Amino acid sequence: MDIPPANITQAESSGAEERAASLAEGIALGTELTAENRLLPVKLGEELWRAAGAELVEVSRVEFAEALETIGARDNFGVDAEKQADERQRETFWRGLHLEELAVARGCALGRESAWQRFLAQYREPLTRAAVEMTGSAALGEELASALYSELFGLTERENKRWSPLLRYSGRGSLMGWLRAILAQRRVDQYRKIGRETELGEIEPAAAVSEEPDLERLRDLRLAIKMTLSEASAEERFLLSAYYLDQHTLQEISSVLRVHVATISRKLNRATERLRKQLLRTLKARGLSWRAAEETLGTDPRDLDIDLRKLLQKSEGDPIPDKEGQG
Amino acid sequence: MSRNLQPAIHPDADQLSVFVEGAATARERERMLAHLAECGECRKAVFLMQPHEEPQPAAITLEKRWAWRGRTWRWLVPVGVPVAALACALIALLIHIRPHGTPEAPQQMASGRPPEIARPGTTVAPSTNAEADRAAPSRDLEPGPPTDKRERAPAANSELVARSGGAPSAPAKKVLRQERSIAGRSNLPALKSGQATLGVPSPTAGAAPSVVGGPVGSVQTVDSTLAQSTVSMSATSNLPLNGRNFAQLQQLQPTEKGAASQNTLAREKELPALQIQGASGQAQTLAGISGRITDRSGASIAGVTVTVRDAAGKTRQTTTGADGSFHLTQLPAGQYGLTATATGFKTSNQSIELKPSEMAMLQPVLDVGSVSAVVEVEAGATSIQTESANVSDQVEETRGARRGSAALSTRPILATVSQGKRVLSLDDAGNLFLSRDEGKKWKKIKPQWAGKAVRIESTTAASGKASANAKDEIGGASEGAVFQLTTDAGTTWGSKDGLHWHQR
Repeated sequence: MDIPPANITQAESSGAEERAASLAEGIALGTELTAENRLLPVKLGEELWRAAGAELVEVSRVEFAEALETIGARDNFGVDAEKQADERQRETFWRGLHLEELAVARGCALGRESAWQRFLAQYREPLTRAAVEMTGSAALGEELASALYSELFGLTERENKRWSPLLRYSGRGSLMGWLRAILAQRRVDQYRKIGRETELGEIEPAAAVSEEPDLERLRDLRLAIKMTLSEASAEERFLLSAYYLDQHTLQEISSVLRVHVATISRKLNRATERLRKQLLRTLKARGLSWRAAEETLGTDPRDLDIDLRKLLQKSEGDPIPDKEGQG
Repeated sequence: MSRNLQPAIHPDADQLSVFVEGAATARERERMLAHLAECGECRKAVFLMQPHEEPQPAAITLEKRWAWRGRTWRWLVPVGVPVAALACALIALLIHIRPHGTPEAPQQMASGRPPEIARPGTTVAPSTNAEADRAAPSRDLEPGPPTDKRERAPAANSELVARSGGAPSAPAKKVLRQERSIAGRSNLPALKSGQATLGVPSPTAGAAPSVVGGPVGSVQTVDSTLAQSTVSMSATSNLPLNGRNFAQLQQLQPTEKGAASQNTLAREKELPALQIQGASGQAQTLAGISGRITDRSGASIAGVTVTVRDAAGKTRQTTTGADGSFHLTQLPAGQYGLTATATGFKTSNQSIELKPSEMAMLQPVLDVGSVSAVVEVEAGATSIQTESANVSDQVEETRGARRGSAALSTRPILATVSQGKRVLSLDDAGNLFLSRDEGKKWKKIKPQWAGKAVRIESTTAASGKASANAKDEIGGASEGAVFQLTTDAGTTWGSKDGLHWHQR
């Protein structure tokens, strides 16, 4: 029985540096903006610059306008990639940004003292708290947070330039949300470095169990699951993975998707049910009687679980492309 | 490094936070979900990002109770499903019948069915199965073939239950299945009675709830906007029952537990009914927003005005309740901008995309607008009211000084006063900071006074009083204006430049 390579290939490519690097292109501060591709009207630029209080964090009009331009271009102003945003859509997009937070982030990335003071005053404590929460330990949390600080402060250099991940903050979400995200990513990176052995260890017993019963049947089952899953929507696959694979509660899933827990439950139910039905159908089509098919699904309830696990774990391409705007 | 060379590109923190905060476009969300479905690491990150909410005391007791019930319920599953189905249908009817708002849209009622189909014979006391009612509504109330379909859903679920809880023996499972099909069959009468009751078009609200199954007069108008939330609520019952969710489910939102929520719950019960009756067209496309507004420390903020604005500029408004929660329903699906405004807090803006039949959850966090207790005076500037309905505007105007003050000390700023370009700021540790350029650069003042500074004011030398009177100041700011400082020992110190202090 072959063990799917799980996430290892993916994991190896997902270090913090690569992640940052892969996404850094085109959005670095120095992106050239020619006169033609400048979309931000001067008046609006001025207004937003004022609204953001950018002056107080020593971010100039030009720097701020540049930030707005690059973010707009990167995300195609929130419209679908193949469409072109009109003036109004662009304005709505810019106005909807967390402008003040964007100004602070930019100011910090540019190394402006007042921006840092502001950043520390506002985010140091919540950030440390979040890190402690994520790690579940004060020591680990503080370590994680301070590592992130030095990173944010731009101690890493890229092409002989000080580079801070804060440059990557777009202002579309809140700065605190962004900080939480980056903390979580760093935390996951830590997991990966520390815990790869244990993770591999966990896969072993599962494989052993599935080798016991009727191999033929299981192969059928796996194929059927695979086919069925390929037809499920992204959301359904996410639900199935989060619920069955990661064992998250409906409540947790609900807060991630920002959808009522009951909706999640309904969707999950529907997905599970569809999966099961589809499986039965597929198995039947492969020559099993309905009863046999049901039995196959039911030989050992854990089999399906294991299979789901493996199949869901197996990442076959379909990575999330970088921002839409870049197609 | 080209991103095309990478086998899999993970979303960056920005994309993750945009997704988690619900600010992503539909397509971005879709892509993110597709990635998350496959990528365990990013999934882990996304779940790690969620703040852990500490349940409030009231929530704890409730949670405990439900946790206990959750356990009980699991044992009830094999036996209780048919009973639950019936009980649920009855309860749904009872709730439906209960007077609840005025009937206002009779056109939403579908064709009246002859009341004689109603089966009064269902004898299960509804009160016996409070939890049972959660078990069934969606199944009961689906018409015809869908009933059959739904009926199978729990089958899948309980198998999954079995999986997570340890494998039951095959015969046991068969028994389960049989019982399930019985439940399915017994659903039908219940369903019929439901339709019959609903179908009678005599809008006399307030019929006694004791009349069950008969030709009851009160036809509730089902608020079509609530449809999705209702439907989703009823679906809660269909949870995959692996035990671990149930307690969690109860702690949902604190708001869900309050008395007010009972109301919604009751209304939600009606919703499947609406669906049966066929007025589903609109209900399918409507959505809602629900959430709780907190400050950075996680405390709920009551009385926040929440406004949603759709793409066409139409707005809807509501105010948060005592627990900081708000609900807006009956919103057509689409893109919305949500603004939360509260006195003393910075206004929060965010955009959200509502999908049909979904109840979106938002938890905006408001930052304190740092309105100091002392009137701030700036030559040429309008005076600030410390208590005003539109603090947000004021914050806007005086952003300069305030922004600066936020940056100078890492501790909370108690008060900020200014005269001309000079700004003084006092933090809660008693540290005093001076800026001579309207808050751009700050300098910590060495205490020349004994004790801890607790209060600063901007006064005129002539009056020597606290400058509640801003207008006087603006005129004579340059002349006799001084700063005044009070220590915790009660002594008063004055300074003309904010730098050199002498006791008064």
